Amino acid sequence: MNTVLSRANSLFAFSLSVMAALTFGCFITTAFKDRRVPVDIHVAKVMLKNVDDFTGPRERSDLGFITFDLSPIFDWNVKQLFLYLSAEYATKSNALNQVVLWDKIVLRGENTKLNLRDMKSKYFFFDDGNGLRANKNITMTLSWNVVPNAGILPLVAGSGHVSLPFPDTYETTKSY
Amino acid sequence: MLSIFKSIPTHMDYKGQKLAEQIFQGIILISAVIGFVYGLIIEQFGWTVYIVLGGFAISCVLTLPPWPMYRQNPLAWQPALPETSGEPSQKPQESLKKKKHK
Repeated sequence: MNTVLSRANSLFAFSLSVMAALTFGCFITTAFKDRRVPVDIHVAKVMLKNVDDFTGPRERSDLGFITFDLSPIFDWNVKQLFLYLSAEYATKSNALNQVVLWDKIVLRGENTKLNLRDMKSKYFFFDDGNGLRANKNITMTLSWNVVPNAGILPLVAGSGHVSLPFPDTYETTKSY
Repeated sequence: MLSIFKSIPTHMDYKGQKLAEQIFQGIILISAVIGFVYGLIIEQFGWTVYIVLGGFAISCVLTLPPWPMYRQNPLAWQPALPETSGEPSQKPQESLKKKKHK
């Protein structure tokens, strides 16, 4: 402490320790928070096709609209949310299939009251067999990954999902 | 170049060092508490970091340079003794003896 450098050293070390303690406090204040949010999903139209050059039927569902308010999730320990809509269904070959159809990244500071209409699915919905045709129970769930400043990376499923049956026949009209 | 830096007086006396340590610890802790509460209220951790950095800068300005308030209790050294004529004459004799043994 008798030279400038030793004073600067102890000052810097003490500031870093305080900063680490603050970051831990930030984590503790948000660690036990419930980040579930009600979600409202409607599916408008389901198209099922059997595509030649791939080995399965293809479905492109127009996600009618999705409304949810994400602002309760955001607090001072959240940098961004990674939302994804996944479909869960069971086939004969697999008891549980999960396919991600759509995703979106919501950064801090963006509009958190999302009201998305006429969304198309972002990714193809392939089954690894013919399990989609006449499947009576396909559940759409919106989940999100909370990316924090410090701490754990929770994976939260939104409360509110929609189950829908798929058609028994393939589409024959060319729509694209 | 180094001699120029070393010629700048930077030392503090012992009580000044203790005072400087207490000052910077107090400033940083207070800014940490303020920043934590403020960040918790406005839900932005970035502001917490900025406020702590501000406290760091203030305490740098206050405690890094040896301000006069850290030099108010200088150590009381013994007054310099006048040089005795005996010691310098003994040392050359010892060296002479060593040379003789060789």
